[in-house]
Amino acid sequence: MKQQQAKAAGEGASTAAKKVTAAQLRVQKDLTELSLPPTMHTHFADPEDIMNFQVFLQPDEGFYVGAHITFEFAINLNFPHEPPKVKCLNKIYHPNIDLQGNVCLNILREDWKPVLSLNSVMIGLQYLFLEPNAGDPLNKEAAMDLQKSRATFAAHVKNSMRGGYVGPEKFDDVLRR
Amino acid sequence: MKVRIKEWNAVSIWHWNVSEDEVCGICRVHFDGTCPSCKYPGDDCPIIIGKCNHSFHMHCLLKWLELETSRGLCPMCRQPFQTLGEDEVITT
Repeated sequence: MKQQQAKAAGEGASTAAKKVTAAQLRVQKDLTELSLPPTMHTHFADPEDIMNFQVFLQPDEGFYVGAHITFEFAINLNFPHEPPKVKCLNKIYHPNIDLQGNVCLNILREDWKPVLSLNSVMIGLQYLFLEPNAGDPLNKEAAMDLQKSRATFAAHVKNSMRGGYVGPEKFDDVLRR
Repeated sequence: MKVRIKEWNAVSIWHWNVSEDEVCGICRVHFDGTCPSCKYPGDDCPIIIGKCNHSFHMHCLLKWLELETSRGLCPMCRQPFQTLGEDEVITT
């Protein structure tokens, strides 16, 4: 126990010297404990910067099967008291993602709590693609579409993923990388 | 054989009265370590136990409760966070 305390105190001292923030420490822990399904991968554009990275998702079932979706994670110094900021970098037809890439996921907004980990956020994102939620829409047209008919919605998603139009909007081709 | 004690050092250890492998859910550091803003474990960086039986480093929890977005709820179970009174702490 004493050793642990000494170690903990030692860690505190060395991190103070390197000026590693509490947020960075926690992010580091979350990243080491990450256990993602084979459908998800992280990518660090700058390996020195663990607070900004991308997450790739390739759903293997559901409406969005076959798509390559990229999210940008930006974590600020108030983490884990504030949630990471997550944006979808592709323009996609999805009830919970608007055309600017803002993502509506409860745990990224009103239901965030600091005991949630980056892993839980990423799993939450994947869940949005397996089961889009028409009850809490950011893209109202897509939500109404899904509510009316799952089959029509599925056809629209398929078309949008090929880089096609749904209504007046043209979407990104996410089937090719 | 006679032994003469020339000097002696008393050594003691302590730890918080929580399960040994439990970590603070907010900073994920062991309770016997400190919260990220403190250097030495002990009374200056105490742990706080809620009526819901969830514990955190006090500094970690206060920082959360100060935020409007916390709505005063326990980060673990989302019940309103109330500190367990001192007489209610079960010592083992």
